[in-house]
Amino acid sequence: MAQTEQNTEQTGTSTDEIIIATDVRKWFGDFQALRGISTVVRRGEVVVIVGPSGSGKSTFIRTINRLERHDEGRIIVDGIEMTDDIRNISQIRSEIGIVFQSFNLFPHLTVLQNLTLAPRNVRHWNRAKSEEKARQLLDRVGIPEQADKFPAQLSGGQQQRVAIARALAMEPRIMLFDEPTSALDPEMIKEVLDVMKELATSGMTIVAVSHEIGFAREVGDRVLFFDEGVIVEEAEPERFFNDPQHDRTKLFLSQIL
Amino acid sequence: MSDRGPVSERGLGAREDVDLLLATQEGVVVESAPKAEPQTPMEWMRQNLFSGWVNALITLASAAFVVFVFYQAARFLLVSAEWEIVRRFLRGYMVGSFPVEELWRVWTCVFLVGALAGLSAGSSRNRLPWPARRIVFGLVVLALAVAFLIFAVKTPLVWGLITAVAVEIIVFRQIGLTLGYQRLRRPLLWGWALSFPVVIIIVRFIGDGVAPRFWEGFFFNIIAATVGIFASFPIGILLALGRRSSLPAVRFFCVGFIEIFRGVPLVAWLVFSKYVVDLLLPPQVDLPDIIKALVAMTLFSSAYIAEIVRGGLQGIDRGQYEAGRALGLSTPRLLGLVILPQALRSTIPAMISHFISLFKDTSLFTAIDVTELLSAARRSSNALEFQGHSMETLLFASLIFWIVAFSMARWSQRLELRLGIGER
Repeated sequence: MAQTEQNTEQTGTSTDEIIIATDVRKWFGDFQALRGISTVVRRGEVVVIVGPSGSGKSTFIRTINRLERHDEGRIIVDGIEMTDDIRNISQIRSEIGIVFQSFNLFPHLTVLQNLTLAPRNVRHWNRAKSEEKARQLLDRVGIPEQADKFPAQLSGGQQQRVAIARALAMEPRIMLFDEPTSALDPEMIKEVLDVMKELATSGMTIVAVSHEIGFAREVGDRVLFFDEGVIVEEAEPERFFNDPQHDRTKLFLSQIL
Repeated sequence: MSDRGPVSERGLGAREDVDLLLATQEGVVVESAPKAEPQTPMEWMRQNLFSGWVNALITLASAAFVVFVFYQAARFLLVSAEWEIVRRFLRGYMVGSFPVEELWRVWTCVFLVGALAGLSAGSSRNRLPWPARRIVFGLVVLALAVAFLIFAVKTPLVWGLITAVAVEIIVFRQIGLTLGYQRLRRPLLWGWALSFPVVIIIVRFIGDGVAPRFWEGFFFNIIAATVGIFASFPIGILLALGRRSSLPAVRFFCVGFIEIFRGVPLVAWLVFSKYVVDLLLPPQVDLPDIIKALVAMTLFSSAYIAEIVRGGLQGIDRGQYEAGRALGLSTPRLLGLVILPQALRSTIPAMISHFISLFKDTSLFTAIDVTELLSAARRSSNALEFQGHSMETLLFASLIFWIVAFSMARWSQRLELRLGIGER
């Protein structure tokens, strides 16, 4: 409510802070999914969110690009506040790429067309430019030879790498990952994590909901532990996994480790 | 089962023992399964048709029945039917009272569509040779068509024109084969899209033109079905999208529209159209009744299409919307590039089925005194010398309807095959 009264344009903050969430709350009917989430993500930071199912972690990262509307609190992405204003929403979305648990590739388009659809129709690049970018990205995620196949012809790991490339094709400044490896067979998880690690070390800002401890330890800067719609604990990966402070965190870690 | 009789009398357990015994004797268990030896037709018949006396009786009885029906049908078709009536009224069936001196307009359209059809048929086919079964079938159809034309077409001019159309289609099919699908896709799309306006211009607006009230016979059925199909398709899609809109007013309007038009018989709409369409138009505009009825039929059809499309939209995963939005696609682009291509693909069978039924429903225009094919056929059997021969004319009209409907069905199968790539 408060957000609409305030200045919704450029909000003067340090440019180093690319996502600022302040007391974000969200209800689904009577159920409160987010009970006041506040956190700041810095440029180039890799934040890993863990927590039991239903803890609101997916809901939170989906509010960052407005796949879910937050009911209270403020979200500011790269200086633009997320409001009901459609221009703000599309501006923020064009800066954020998201990768879903279930890939959500467009099944009626080839891999290459999946990658060029948004650049051509949102960024208005010409065919040559968007295809060059797409092939570059397919190379980066390690599947340049699959460009002309349809998503259904690829393995789960390959599909997820296409999904990552599709998000990158829009040249986002932030990448969100919503449990990117949860739907994959074990032997395919590594190929996706490798791509994510490469992305993290290249300086991309990443917010990932993931229970891949190895990923969090290796490239994560910070781990957020969500439970029942609040951030219960927040720490660097080493400290978080080796020396959790809260009982709920300890219980959770004992279950997943 | 008869050879197993004694075994089954000993009960299930015993039978299993026998099977086991057989299996162990032969050494390999799998081998005890019925062997797929090539059968002679006699063996096949004995096993499937005459395996017991009840079965044999049923086989004989049904064979007798089939033979009887075929005999009756053949006797009617070849002996007692008076096909002269079709020969006499063929032009009436095809174009009704369309002025004879203006028929060149219709023929021009036929040639135009023939060229497009030939190109389409050729371009959508691979160069594989036809299998023998298909060649035989094709030759039989061709022979029947030629025999019919020899019988039914009276004037040499029409003969010449029909032959020319046939040659034209074959030539353009060959051209289509040579050029291939990739090069013809776009030109053909444009060609078909423009063909209808061009047909209307040729028939109605070149020179004096022919007023819609003279568009009769099968020509009318084709025109009406084309209008209905192509005009109702986009309207139906909009209605389906509107029904899912987040704006209550839009949703309410669309649901109301769909339910009202779907709930009343088409015949009623055709009759009402005279008055109802005037409500939508400024009083200065005065449309011919036929056009009004076409508008009513289009709206009726779009209500059905809306429901078919809605079914397709419901099959689209929520993740597709989310992925599209997250990439920054605007709502029209999201729908046009991501959602509808998938939703419409899955509705092809239902959509074609609806179009076929709409095509046949154009015969309901007889309710507003349009002499389309079916009513022309019925009327012709009122002629004094053909009293009591309505069966022949109705059969002929049905055959024409069937040929077109069947072609549409086949075309839809091909379309499904081609668009099915990447799914599954």
